[in-house]
Amino acid sequence: MGRRRRRQPDPADAARALPEAIAALSRTLPAAPSPEIFRRAKFDRPEAAPALWRLLFHVLSPLSADSASVSFTLEAQVRWVKSVLHSQGYPRLALVQLQDDGSQGGRELLLALAWLLARGPLPERLLTQSHVRLGDEMPVCECEALASPGPPAPRVEAEGSVDIRHLQWLMGKLQLRWRNLMAGQQEQCALLGKNPWQRIFCSTRLSWNLSGLQLLLLCGTCPPADLPAPQTQIHSYTRGCHSDRSLGHLSVTETELLRDPEGGRQLLQRLETENARLEAALEWRHRELVFWRWMDTVLDTCPLEASPPTFLPRIPEPGAGAAGLPVRELQALQEELQALQEELRKAVEARRAAWQAAVGGHGPEWRAARRALQVAVAQDLAALQWAWEQGKGQARPHGPRRLVRTEARVPGRLGLWATEATEALRAREACLEAMLHQLQGQCRQELARLVGVRPGLIWVPPPAR
Amino acid sequence: MSIVTVQLGQCGNQIGFEVFDALFNDSHCPGGLCSKRENEAYQASCKERFFSEEENGVPVARAVLVDMERKVISQTLSKAARSGRWKYGQHSCFCQKQGSGNNWAYGYSVHGPRHKESIMNLIQKEVEKCDSLSGFFIIMSMAGGTGSGLGAFVTQNLQDQYSSALKMNHIIWPYGTGEVIVQNYNSILTLSHLYRSSDALLVHENDAVHKICAKLMNIKQISFCDINQVLAHQLGSVFQPTYSREGSFHYRRNPLGDLMENLVPHPEFKMLGVRNIPQMSENSLAYSTFTWAGLLKHLRQMLISNAKMEEGIDWQVRPPLSGLPPLGKMSVNKETHFNTSIANLVILRGKDVHSADVGHHRALKRVLCAVRMFSPVICQCQSPKFILLKKGKIKTLVLVAKRNPCTSM
Repeated sequence: MGRRRRRQPDPADAARALPEAIAALSRTLPAAPSPEIFRRAKFDRPEAAPALWRLLFHVLSPLSADSASVSFTLEAQVRWVKSVLHSQGYPRLALVQLQDDGSQGGRELLLALAWLLARGPLPERLLTQSHVRLGDEMPVCECEALASPGPPAPRVEAEGSVDIRHLQWLMGKLQLRWRNLMAGQQEQCALLGKNPWQRIFCSTRLSWNLSGLQLLLLCGTCPPADLPAPQTQIHSYTRGCHSDRSLGHLSVTETELLRDPEGGRQLLQRLETENARLEAALEWRHRELVFWRWMDTVLDTCPLEASPPTFLPRIPEPGAGAAGLPVRELQALQEELQALQEELRKAVEARRAAWQAAVGGHGPEWRAARRALQVAVAQDLAALQWAWEQGKGQARPHGPRRLVRTEARVPGRLGLWATEATEALRAREACLEAMLHQLQGQCRQELARLVGVRPGLIWVPPPAR
Repeated sequence: MSIVTVQLGQCGNQIGFEVFDALFNDSHCPGGLCSKRENEAYQASCKERFFSEEENGVPVARAVLVDMERKVISQTLSKAARSGRWKYGQHSCFCQKQGSGNNWAYGYSVHGPRHKESIMNLIQKEVEKCDSLSGFFIIMSMAGGTGSGLGAFVTQNLQDQYSSALKMNHIIWPYGTGEVIVQNYNSILTLSHLYRSSDALLVHENDAVHKICAKLMNIKQISFCDINQVLAHQLGSVFQPTYSREGSFHYRRNPLGDLMENLVPHPEFKMLGVRNIPQMSENSLAYSTFTWAGLLKHLRQMLISNAKMEEGIDWQVRPPLSGLPPLGKMSVNKETHFNTSIANLVILRGKDVHSADVGHHRALKRVLCAVRMFSPVICQCQSPKFILLKKGKIKTLVLVAKRNPCTSM
């Protein structure tokens, strides 16, 4: 037996650590470029910028944007990334001032990526979003849908006047598509409960022509609804087949896996890619430190910026002639806006000083009022606390749950009855409907008010549905 | 998804019978150009839409028959039962004794409220038999009393009770020189009510269909039966299962949904028309050959010149070029009869459907107001009897949304 050599820290290892860390990061994130691009970006090389813009776009947009058939140009992606980063509170102004064509700014993009990574568990969140689901799932709440920023709304170039009838047409089309989607979903639910082996050809593709919807000025796009191949009452028919005893039966995906070898192979591929990404994520967590040290050096190479506290819209360079006129006006407006903001700040300070003086002068009266206020606030807080504790007994469901048909009396460790979940969803639906009615009432009042403003006009309201 | 048919009045019931007969015969006709598996898929899809299964295996039409007289309904029921291949449900009909006397108000204000419960119960039972409801198809005429008055009432009630289901009313435009004196009043009243409560109005004109029978089908003594058969042929071509152009793997599930989405999204434009080509008697079928290009060309010209059949098309009508002044300000000499339609849907059925090229009809895009493509649909080939055109990307062809309702009375 040879003497076991003590491992010396190999200098070559240190040199390799950084690229390996970045490679792990690339493998975890969707559409990530190679470590070489990262290195080039540090030195602000132009070829690195487009790749990083695309990476940021894929990281920030929710899953649905990936599978959308519409592909966004680099410019559109750049604009969208800037707006999302700004809305999330990204502090560096230099990113916003980068060109829209995405040709420069590799270093700033690196900093933005690092900022996103530092804020929260980004790779883990992305992996959860693209998780391969094997069970029949039922979404129980919509927290995730609400939290993520919507997919990018494509820019609409308003050429002159907008044809209101065209808008009505598009709105009607959207409404009808929603109705068709609801009908399709209801059909799917109905068929899930049918007798086994009844041959119903319920496969369909509700194909959503997103290019048609691109013209809509709404932010959300309708997600594609893909009904899987023939569904029967698989849950009861495959009782006892599952290797996992707690589940007991197969789901639709698993049954399809057994029936259709091609589909099974594709599912396997997807699982393998997901595994690879998970392993990369683990590796990334181990090697993170090296990356952050390197990011420090990137930050050092950036020039310091004295950023003004407000965000002003970017005005393109003034051109000569008539084309430049509106731009010059915009410039003038911008200067005016800045001056107004200065004035406002001064006025606010003056007011605040005056109020302080007034407050100090009032004496016991004011102090009594303040005490009463504090007592009221404390009571409110106590009431909220009490309400929260009352409600804590019912486990608030979150995220999609796998549907399992079971004879057991008690739901498992993490389970809850479908009835409870549907009750919670119904309550939420009732809440939202009440809110909708209230908002509709407000709109109607507003319309009535507008009608009263111009007595000469005759308003024909739309037929009540 | 299933469609529940409501047959109202004498006209509605007679047409309804022919429609179901045509649908059933088409889906069960032997031969055809497809493999056995495709045939079975077609049959199953058609069956799911229009028929429900009963114990002894005879398909039962998903229909509710309503009339204020007994005679027509009993005739319809017996005709269906006689064929032995399909039938109407025993308890799916509602009839009274006294009739409506061609009086719209009698149908709407007297019969309607009086018999509302029974009729809506019947419809509810049909709806419950469906796994999933695509919508309602209501067949009625505008000239009589029951079809028009009671039809308007029933549609309104369907709107109230099933607000999420789609409704298509199939209305028969009476002969210009019709028998009923008050048909004009009946028609106007019906249309105004239907425009509010229905989603789409599919119009068939008696005059046009009569001409088709006379000129194209070469029928000497044209009876209502012949007219109804032509109507049923056209309707069947629309409602039989179709693929979409992109993916011809499965049949599209929601026929009414597809039609509505593509043709009537705008709340003000609801009237539809059907143009079918070629339309001919079975005897002539053996002596004719068709090409897709020829058929499409004829169909396009039929559309823009507002011709209802493929004979006597005015080939002079052209879509106005973009250089000319807009349509509203045409000079008196150049009175063009260009038919403006807002949306069109093409259904193609037959051999070599994929070779049909609808591309060169883009010229119409400029003129019609701002309508983009719809999801294209190509139908699977079955009996060559049904040859319709249904496609997206281009305007023209089968279904046309008209701008001006009630252009002629």
